[in-house]
Amino acid sequence: MMREEIKEKPEVEGVSRRSVLKGAVTLGALAAGGGIALNMSMPGTAEAAAKKLPAKWDEEVDVLIIGSGFAGLAAAAEASSRGRKVLILEKMPIYGGNSIINGGEYASSDDKYHIRQKLNLGEDSTKQHFDDTMKGGDYYNNPALVKIMVEDAPATLNWMMDQGGLKMREIASRAGGHTAYRARTCVAGVGRCFTEALKKMAEQSGVKIRLETAVTWVWRKDWEGPVLGVEAVTGKRTKNIKIKHALVFASGGFGQDIKMRQDFNPSITPSVNCTNHKGATGETIRYAQAIGADALQLAFIQLYPFAEPETGILDTSAVFPFRGPGIGIVYVARTGKRYVSELDRRDVCSRAAIATDSKPTYSIFNEKMTPLLGSAEELKKGLENGRFIKAETLKDLAGKIDIPADVFAETIRKHNQYLADGKDPDFNKPITAKMLPIVDGPFYALPQWPAVHHCMGGLRINEMAQVVDVWRKPIPRFYAAGEVAGGVHGSNRLGSNATPDAIVFGRIAGTNAAKEKPMA
Amino acid sequence: MKRILLSIFLMAALLCLHYFVAGSRTAEAAKPAAASCQACHADFTSVLPKGHPPAKGTGLAACTSCHAPDLTGIAKKNAFSSRMHTAHVGPKGSLDCTACHTWVPNKRFGLIGQKWSWGAPKKEDMDLMKEIFISWANSGHTDTLHAKAGIVCTQCHGKELPKADDTVENSRCLTCHGPMEKLALKTEPKDFKGRNPHKSHLGDIACTVCHKGHRESKVYCLGCHQNFQMKIQGAAKP
Repeated sequence: MMREEIKEKPEVEGVSRRSVLKGAVTLGALAAGGGIALNMSMPGTAEAAAKKLPAKWDEEVDVLIIGSGFAGLAAAAEASSRGRKVLILEKMPIYGGNSIINGGEYASSDDKYHIRQKLNLGEDSTKQHFDDTMKGGDYYNNPALVKIMVEDAPATLNWMMDQGGLKMREIASRAGGHTAYRARTCVAGVGRCFTEALKKMAEQSGVKIRLETAVTWVWRKDWEGPVLGVEAVTGKRTKNIKIKHALVFASGGFGQDIKMRQDFNPSITPSVNCTNHKGATGETIRYAQAIGADALQLAFIQLYPFAEPETGILDTSAVFPFRGPGIGIVYVARTGKRYVSELDRRDVCSRAAIATDSKPTYSIFNEKMTPLLGSAEELKKGLENGRFIKAETLKDLAGKIDIPADVFAETIRKHNQYLADGKDPDFNKPITAKMLPIVDGPFYALPQWPAVHHCMGGLRINEMAQVVDVWRKPIPRFYAAGEVAGGVHGSNRLGSNATPDAIVFGRIAGTNAAKEKPMA
Repeated sequence: MKRILLSIFLMAALLCLHYFVAGSRTAEAAKPAAASCQACHADFTSVLPKGHPPAKGTGLAACTSCHAPDLTGIAKKNAFSSRMHTAHVGPKGSLDCTACHTWVPNKRFGLIGQKWSWGAPKKEDMDLMKEIFISWANSGHTDTLHAKAGIVCTQCHGKELPKADDTVENSRCLTCHGPMEKLALKTEPKDFKGRNPHKSHLGDIACTVCHKGHRESKVYCLGCHQNFQMKIQGAAKP
């Protein structure tokens, strides 16, 4: 239907569809500007008005990247190391998007220091990582993309350690949905350590980041030609920026775009909290769609089951429940009972929490487990700001969080027994020898509640990170990576997979963008 | 005394508004405005601080012969240019820039009777500068806080005329407000030491993320941490 609409569009500068298909319009003619831009916006919207291609460009760069999180910075580092002049546009006043505030977890089956092996945490392989990711996403994932992510994850982690000065903690966690201890944590315990490493690498080779600059349009002349550049606004000034080699979208998800959330998944009501930064809105997806890009699985929106209940933020305390399942952390509802297998996936944990219908739920752990859950500093900070509730006995802890003490004590006793038996008859949790019983105090509780966290869907990309159009053809010179792209995680992303996804595909996008020949 | 003098100065400037606006319309097109201050100041004795030696002449040179305009863009408090602008920009941007400045669009921008130029502003740059000066004198934003301390454009923006997308680097702010560690100590909350906007999990960020020069300042932290109690100067007027 869209094809027909375009065909009949009289404004396409008198170029018939046939002549376009024959290639009568050369790239050179496009680059010269002028004429009408490709525009598939909704009729009746401002964008739907005939939009003229810029007669002259205000600026030209080799590779233009939209977004300065993991994917954008990785793409920038790769493209600039190949000698390209790279500019990153970031609409927010700080760089880093969701990446700089993420939990600092990176799923990888191995690393140059072999931390998992050193800690004697069992086996893992790229195959196992692949299988877990596919299963966790209910096989909605694009297997080709998953394969690339799991296979490139270890080398990409080493790349950041070798060239960006990234430092990792000596822990590996088994998080929900994973069958191995493969979630690695950077030293600062927040995504900033990855963004800083990547930014350092990018800036070493001359990448510039322009803050508070929002894309307001993508220029493409017709449905066969390449993207030409973008329209972007900084303060009061609008500029048209032309690309010489390629455009990379690394503009993140749309967790904060309540209207878009509602459009695709009305079950996530506007009142549901969100862990994302305020800039996580979906306009770049719409701009890409308006020039023919395909998008997929936009209804798959993940809730993080353990966000701070009041504001929905994912602070350093809120990462403890994520790292906990492999070592025996227990989640309890306000009834004092468990409500889910702690090793289950995020969507299952979130749904189970919401089904308790009594905010919040709690993560329960003891002193002995804390070194495996986070740093001493994080624990101290969490106690100081009242996030962690601490008590010497389970009874006192129950009193402090106002849940029935006897039911709670029985829950913990039973769970300890399940660990000893190697069997969880209540929720069928796969018990491992690394799980610790909660026997000695002091004991801790952390309130938690689901909040919108990650958009699994997004722009359709291929293995080259090229954006694919609605006819399944790559849009020339247009790449996407990270949360803005869809298809890697299927219906449910496994925790700690977002970081390798964004960085691995950011590198691919940046590498391929740099390899594009200059536009005539 | 100083305050009284300033008020007289301001009132005089306001009274002259009509003359200058009307005058500049024709003068701007024909030739640079006459470098005379006589229209408003018969002589300068009424506006000079106590003990100031008499100012000779009727034009700008009476001042600039001693108070040499700053061409280096140094960051310092209470500069002469700040005081001149505070007095003449007025609460509503009353005096036209060309009362004192020479401006050849896209070519040069200087002071009447002086040869050097600060830059080559276009019309839109000039419009923006006027708009910003009015904000500087009145808005209550960070710019006004600086105006009150006698800080004018160059002391934040450096010696070039600021462009529309100009920003102020942290190092510039820290010339007066730094060093960072000391600043962070000042804003460390007593109850939650970790909730320090100047030492946050975002690492090394620009001062301008929260402290906007010419618009409302906002605590960026509060975008996510809605339950934090934090205030900022130059915020929206209640």
